[in-house]
Amino acid sequence: MLEVKNIEKYYGSKNNVTKALDRVSFQVADGEFIAIMGASGSGKTTLLNCISTIDTVSAGDILLDGENISQLPSRELARFRRERLGFVFQDFNLLDTLTVEENIGLALALNHIPPHKVQEQVSAVAGKLEIKDILEKFPYQISGGQKQRAACARAMVAGQSLLLADEPTGALDSKASKNLLEILTKMNRDMGATILMVTHDAYSAGYAHRVLFLKDGRLFNELLRGDRARQIFYHEILDVLALLGGDISDVL
Amino acid sequence: MTFFNASKNPSAAARPGESGGVVLRLSLRNARRQARDYLVYFATIVMVAALIYSFNGLIFSQEIRNLAAQMATLPMMIVLAGAVVIAIISWLVSYTIQFMLGRRSREFGIYVLIGLEPQQVARLFFLENLVVGGCALILGVLLGNLFYQILRAIVLSLFGQAYTFSFAFSPGAVGLTFLCFALIYLFAQLKSRRRIRSMKIHDLLCFDRQNEEAVICAGKKRLRIFTLSLVSGFVGTLLLMAGSPLLGLIGAGCVIVFLYGFFLSFASGVPAYFHKRPEKKYRGQTLLVFRTLTAKLATMGTVMATISLLFTATLISEGSGLIFQGLFYGRVRENSCFDIMIGIADLRQDHGDYLEYLQEYVPIKSQYQYEVYRGENAQVQAYLQDNTTYYTYHDRDLVMAYSDYASLRRMLGYPEVPLEDGQYLLHCRTYLEKLLTKYTYSVPLGGQTLSPGGVHSEPLGQYGWDVNGSDYILVVPDALAELCPINHRLYVAMTAEPLCEDQYNRLREIRKKRSEYSDYDNIIVRAQEEREAAAMTAMTVFPLYYLALVLTMTSATVLTIQLLSESSRYRHQFRLLEKLGMDRREMTVTLRKQFAFYYAMPALPPLLIGIPFIRNLAMSPEPGILVGTSSPAAIIATAVGLYLSIYLLYILLAYNSLKRGVFPE
Repeated sequence: MLEVKNIEKYYGSKNNVTKALDRVSFQVADGEFIAIMGASGSGKTTLLNCISTIDTVSAGDILLDGENISQLPSRELARFRRERLGFVFQDFNLLDTLTVEENIGLALALNHIPPHKVQEQVSAVAGKLEIKDILEKFPYQISGGQKQRAACARAMVAGQSLLLADEPTGALDSKASKNLLEILTKMNRDMGATILMVTHDAYSAGYAHRVLFLKDGRLFNELLRGDRARQIFYHEILDVLALLGGDISDVL
Repeated sequence: MTFFNASKNPSAAARPGESGGVVLRLSLRNARRQARDYLVYFATIVMVAALIYSFNGLIFSQEIRNLAAQMATLPMMIVLAGAVVIAIISWLVSYTIQFMLGRRSREFGIYVLIGLEPQQVARLFFLENLVVGGCALILGVLLGNLFYQILRAIVLSLFGQAYTFSFAFSPGAVGLTFLCFALIYLFAQLKSRRRIRSMKIHDLLCFDRQNEEAVICAGKKRLRIFTLSLVSGFVGTLLLMAGSPLLGLIGAGCVIVFLYGFFLSFASGVPAYFHKRPEKKYRGQTLLVFRTLTAKLATMGTVMATISLLFTATLISEGSGLIFQGLFYGRVRENSCFDIMIGIADLRQDHGDYLEYLQEYVPIKSQYQYEVYRGENAQVQAYLQDNTTYYTYHDRDLVMAYSDYASLRRMLGYPEVPLEDGQYLLHCRTYLEKLLTKYTYSVPLGGQTLSPGGVHSEPLGQYGWDVNGSDYILVVPDALAELCPINHRLYVAMTAEPLCEDQYNRLREIRKKRSEYSDYDNIIVRAQEEREAAAMTAMTVFPLYYLALVLTMTSATVLTIQLLSESSRYRHQFRLLEKLGMDRREMTVTLRKQFAFYYAMPALPPLLIGIPFIRNLAMSPEPGILVGTSSPAAIIATAVGLYLSIYLLYILLAYNSLKRGVFPE
């Protein structure tokens, strides 16, 4: 589904160039749940931004369903984002002035879905994510976990094929984090959502099928969960992080 | 971030002995930042200072006061308007300071946290505002000198005098402007000082996180208030137009009830409307536009209502100013085509006393004495009363001999008009021309029947009593006119130069002496009429425009401060929308719509109240005065145009500033 080929990303001026991504390549299959891990400054968010077309790559190609998104004109990029990508951010990014229902419906309105179908579709997805009873509320009236579920609903309501999550549990307590990760797993397993999640939390990464490790902008390692229990996979992730070095404090 | 901008070494602030210096340094630095962040506010305060100074300049100008005797009351009118201006600007400054206080309470909390005493923080904020106000005042006084020259030029041109630049720095005007500003800032500062001193660290740190309260939520209550407010607005507008002071006052009260009720209930009414019609909500950019609007209205309904009220006052001030101006000059236009016109109703008298004086002291270019006669009936008058608003002074149609008419036309430089035998001419004021052209009836006079021979409407001195008719006059052959009884005698003259005030007063003295033994004569002196119109314009129109200008600037500034302070919220919104796939064109349309609704909301009710009010006021003077560029339609268009043009200037500034700050590159 997603193919990242030798992408590079440089920041800065002529005299002071920072290499944020260095020849990163990987593939994501349809229906996969992938986590990208790494320390602060390792390039995880840059990678996510490049895939989500918020940022552009300096070299290399990103193909989604065979379409090279690094070469799309800006107008097409906007269309691509609203039709194909769903976003879940660490700080929820819900609009304060809209109710939960409207925040979710916004994604449909942007896709020019006939207005009379919006409520129906929002209601369907809210039912699946167990947030039907808070649809009338404003973001400041609900908990962090509920906000994140609303963000998940917005990310998939318009039938987006790839869900990009940037530290989705970063602002949640452990109970709400667990709840959210289960929701993501459910979305992946039952609704067929392909998920690419950036995190520096080993516990969150343990829910993925595969974990990619980034260090200094390069792919350092890759772990496949296979049939192993989540607990075992979690410990393997911790081992790799220990190998990466200097990041134990991030994991514990 | 704010904190680090303010001081690189905050701990130094707490050191005894040094804290005063630190407070001063911080205040100066923050003042600079405040002027930059609240540029629109700063610019408005500078403009207001300039306006106050320039009008104060008029108060202290001997030159202006010497223009006419009536100008002696000009200072009082400006002081009255100035008092209202001070009240309005106090509100603006107080509102802005409270607003900044809310936005920066966290910063002040940190100052207290690192050891500054609340009194010191209050002093810091006080000094900061003092510096900003002081700078605005100094810049304003400098700019005000320029404004004063413009005002002076306008006043001199009103009195027909040549303008020559003469730099006039009036210490009195500077002093009074300082006093006005001291009052404005004292009021605002006292409020904020009390607030900072009484707040605890926690309150200060968390003040900006407090949720603002929505004003009215309950459906039925809201609907009731909304309906009541609309009814109150309608009734209020009708009462304002009723013309009686008491009803007008009640009407103004109703309008205030309408504006506050409307804005407080409208905010919760819109979501209720869309809640019932979800299909409308999700169409195009409606969702984002209406939610932004209702969020704004829910938290600043009272401010919106106040702004709307100020806008209504602006529109009414501008409209009234234009009406007064039109009225004064319209009367001069209709009254004074001759330099001197004296009507005598007492037929035992003639113009002898006046002529004696005029021949000796006034250089006359041309003059003419004649009589105006009474016709046989009032058929033209009856026709006018049936077809238009016409106030009558006489019980018969008035008649003039053709030879007198021809002489008057020659004096005024009008082309000659022929009068055929058996015909009559009609000469009327412009507002009657169309109607009288349709008058095709014959007129009986001296045993003959005269048929209509044409209608003319050049200014001929037909407004008032004992003049050339009563808004119209019939011109008939001399032989027939002389058969009619005389109604009054007239003397008209054109002079080599305009009569001065003393000469006019001398004519009045002659009249006064004569009035002891005869009826009161009607003396019209063009130069005096023009002087009086100029003085009345300066005294009523200037203060009204002064008020209107300050009201618009204040309202637009409050709206703009509110909007620009939300730039980061808008930026966040559009960044998110960009991520969600909204393209730039759609984002621009959304921003424009949000912007347009925000600025249109408080501007629309004033139009609904102001336009009927101005129209009604413009229709009330005697007919024929407010015509042409001073017609009710033209006055409404000019007043609305003036109001919107200043408002538009602020809107454009705010839009550019917001667009630059909001859209991601």
